[in-house]
Amino acid sequence: MVKVAVLKFPGTNCDEDVHHVLKNVFFVDSQIVWYKNFSLNGWDAIIIPGGFSYGDWLRAGAIAARTSAIEELINARDIGVPVLGICNGFQILVEAGLLPGALLPNESGRFVCRWVRTYVERPRGPWLSLTTEGYEIHMPVAHGEGRYYIDEENYQNILLKSPLIRYAKGDNPNGSVYDIAGVASEDGLILGLMPHPERSSEDLLPPRGFRPGGRIIFESLVYSLKRGW
Amino acid sequence: MPLSLEEVEEIRRILGREPTEEELAMFEAQWSEHCSYKSSKLLLKLLPSEGRHVVVGPGRDAPAVKVFKDWVVVFKIESHNHPSAVDPYNGAATGIGGIVRDILSLGAKPIALLDMLYLGNPRNPHANWLIRGIVRGISDYGNRIGIPTVAGDTWFDNAFNSQPLVNVACIGIAKPDKVVLTTPEPGDLIIIMGNSTGRDGLLGSSFASKPLAEDVDRDIGAVQVGDPLTEKLLIDVIQILIEKGVVKYIKDLGGGGLTTAVCETAADHNLGAVIYLEKLHTRQSLTPLELLVSESQERMLLVVNPENIESVARVLDEYDVMYSVIGFFTDDGIIKVFYNGVKVAEVPAKELAKPRPLRRASTPPLEVLKGLKPLYNLPPEPNYEESIVKVLTSLNIVSKRWIYEQYDHEVGIRTVVKPGYGDAAVLRLLDGSRRGIAVKGDANPRYTYLDPFNGAANAVAECFRNLVAVGSKPIAIVDELNAGNPEKPEHFWYFEMMVKGIAWIAEELKLPVVGGKVSFYNEDHRGKQVKPTATIVGIGRVDDITKAMTMDFKENGSYIAIVGVTYPELGGSEYLFRIFGLEEGEIPRPRPSSELRNGKFVYKAISLGYVNAVHDISIGGLATALIEMAVKGKIGFEVDIAKVFARGIQRLDEILFSETQARYILEVKGEYLEDLLKLADRLGVKVSIIGRTRDRNSVVFTKNSTVLVNLDLSYLSDIYDKTLEEEIEGGV
Repeated sequence: MVKVAVLKFPGTNCDEDVHHVLKNVFFVDSQIVWYKNFSLNGWDAIIIPGGFSYGDWLRAGAIAARTSAIEELINARDIGVPVLGICNGFQILVEAGLLPGALLPNESGRFVCRWVRTYVERPRGPWLSLTTEGYEIHMPVAHGEGRYYIDEENYQNILLKSPLIRYAKGDNPNGSVYDIAGVASEDGLILGLMPHPERSSEDLLPPRGFRPGGRIIFESLVYSLKRGW
Repeated sequence: MPLSLEEVEEIRRILGREPTEEELAMFEAQWSEHCSYKSSKLLLKLLPSEGRHVVVGPGRDAPAVKVFKDWVVVFKIESHNHPSAVDPYNGAATGIGGIVRDILSLGAKPIALLDMLYLGNPRNPHANWLIRGIVRGISDYGNRIGIPTVAGDTWFDNAFNSQPLVNVACIGIAKPDKVVLTTPEPGDLIIIMGNSTGRDGLLGSSFASKPLAEDVDRDIGAVQVGDPLTEKLLIDVIQILIEKGVVKYIKDLGGGGLTTAVCETAADHNLGAVIYLEKLHTRQSLTPLELLVSESQERMLLVVNPENIESVARVLDEYDVMYSVIGFFTDDGIIKVFYNGVKVAEVPAKELAKPRPLRRASTPPLEVLKGLKPLYNLPPEPNYEESIVKVLTSLNIVSKRWIYEQYDHEVGIRTVVKPGYGDAAVLRLLDGSRRGIAVKGDANPRYTYLDPFNGAANAVAECFRNLVAVGSKPIAIVDELNAGNPEKPEHFWYFEMMVKGIAWIAEELKLPVVGGKVSFYNEDHRGKQVKPTATIVGIGRVDDITKAMTMDFKENGSYIAIVGVTYPELGGSEYLFRIFGLEEGEIPRPRPSSELRNGKFVYKAISLGYVNAVHDISIGGLATALIEMAVKGKIGFEVDIAKVFARGIQRLDEILFSETQARYILEVKGEYLEDLLKLADRLGVKVSIIGRTRDRNSVVFTKNSTVLVNLDLSYLSDIYDKTLEEEIEGGV
């Protein structure tokens, strides 16, 4: 039986949502794990859900990235366990150096909660295995610090060789460079993204004009854990 | 010092001696208007609070209503007007914190927030600063604690430039057997958990119980500062403690701080208490007096049986929540407070908790004659197209996207009908069923200013309609009465009339008023009261969320139906204000029997699947409501206003902009038109079919065959979407 850990820090607030989607929509065994009790053993995949770990003190994700739980997680790459960071989870992965770049306050200076269209480039790895080049995914964003930044050189050398999720033209909600919504390690094992796939996994939730496309990420995981990626 | 000389005399009589400094502070906090409702108590008894759904009525921190057999909804409203006028960011943020803890105190899981904001003119620099601070405060706090802000109400008016009204509500759900209703007993331990006590918010409720000073910055120490991370931890640990069943009773430390929490819990259960103040965890060194009345946020009182103390402590330690065991309950009805072995206060709990109610004098001011003025000599009707654009771009009507996009309205994945899509928000229960609830907040400050009785009644009626329009059955409401200085008879009169208006229509609509809050002293430093405002938050039951209704037009060629009769009721309307600059005239009459009949019809039409979209007609009238449906659906329409069922109309602007109550617009599916009309006939509801949706980029109003209005839909969408942001971001 596949087991997924949903890692919870003080201030994490999307843990129950991710847990619900895994358990009730995709029938995957999952458990919310308090950061103090987290160890890498026994998990087939690890998701760091959204929220405001440690109240976003200092910078979003900065404190959580320095906990023992994340030190543990750095080994995940070596043993090949898939890691997904959503919203604050993405911020934590970036702060921990597991993914490149930085997440800055939105260009508008305001928090933004809105549905957006995104698309996938160079899908690879367990989280995007069922998608194809250009695959469109609709999801809502909800963040105050989601403006992705990376310099030209690293963009060319790292990101353009890795899987990428971009906001569709005109849908960039925060001023991210190159319309970047999510980035992954080159093999796609570690994925981080600002939009919330768990909020877009059930038919009831998208407003008119949008589809529950976020489910493809969880479907990909379930598929990949069985068949490889 | 808000304690009056008579009150000090009363305290001497209760104690039989001179009160200590600490005792005086305790009485001042608890006897403040904010905590004790001394001026409002007698009138609030008029509100019908009973009904078959009501599990807990007024009295506890929050009321509870059994919406489904296996689900209880706990909901409450609160104002943070005074703090928000001084420090908009922290004032509004801590308002959210307080209302959430009220919901937690019944052991419910908070699932939604609403904010009802009555704000100044964004082009006034001070008001603009307040608006940004308030919205940001709610955004930062609400988003961090992981509760979606899903609905609300907004009003912009010069009357609120220096004293805005910030009303917030929280909705929680709980299993009936988990609602915390057990009784504290002598020997039970008193635990204070959460934030450490500091010197912020000292006597904040007493500050909120007097008019704002000219130099408001002097009151900054009375404003509390919020810590959403601690609040989030409180939310998490309370769910765990409830699940484990180790807590007997929970109470928020809100207005009045420790004093109010302890004395109300004791008084409500005929108990006394012994408190050791030095045990309380603090941020800095505080005097016993400060410890008693500090209103530091994110603190809650737990009542725990001594044998459960270890398991409670384990949970709190695991989640890094600070706590201290500060004393225990006794059976003598006396609250004894010690500080390092010295007794600093000894007061009877009941006398402290409940001051004698005051009967306040009430006189209508001359100003209220404005609301009786007949509108017989209005200026001639201006160009309809220009009027429509001008009314549509009123900040009270345009899209509130600038506000609601700053709130995470999706977290919790329950929000099925989201802000901007329907007349109310719809949330699913997420229990595997298709059931859900609808929530909405409403007020119209202009109505209650011109006619507090009918204005407050109309707020209830509008809330009722909004709940119906999304396909829910209205179950119960709570109210927030924002009024002026109760010591001034001509201010108090508005309060009295608002209570009576709500009481009357709630009875008529069979909607129990299960709880509420009163905010007095909403006046500026010159003593001018803001527009008195009755804010209503209602909940409705949704049996099938897949049928939840939104207001956007869905299809080309479907029929547009008006439910209800239109009367020439332009008094107090948005049209009158925007076009002629008038705030006067008789406001639209509340029509409870039509509300019930028309509401039932609309509810049926939705559940039978006859309609594609529903929108209630409120401010801005018929023309505005139709355009909103077109803008949101990106589908135009053509209607003939000669077909609107109307009575007593003398001018066309009365049809287009009248704000007559009990009306809805339906987009009717072609194949069900006959069925819908039959249903209307059977229920005795007046329905007029006035036109059809058209997949064209225009909205057209005709009278018979004369075209009165032909406007470009993209243009209307554009101004509807962008006006508020432009006013706030570029207005100063």
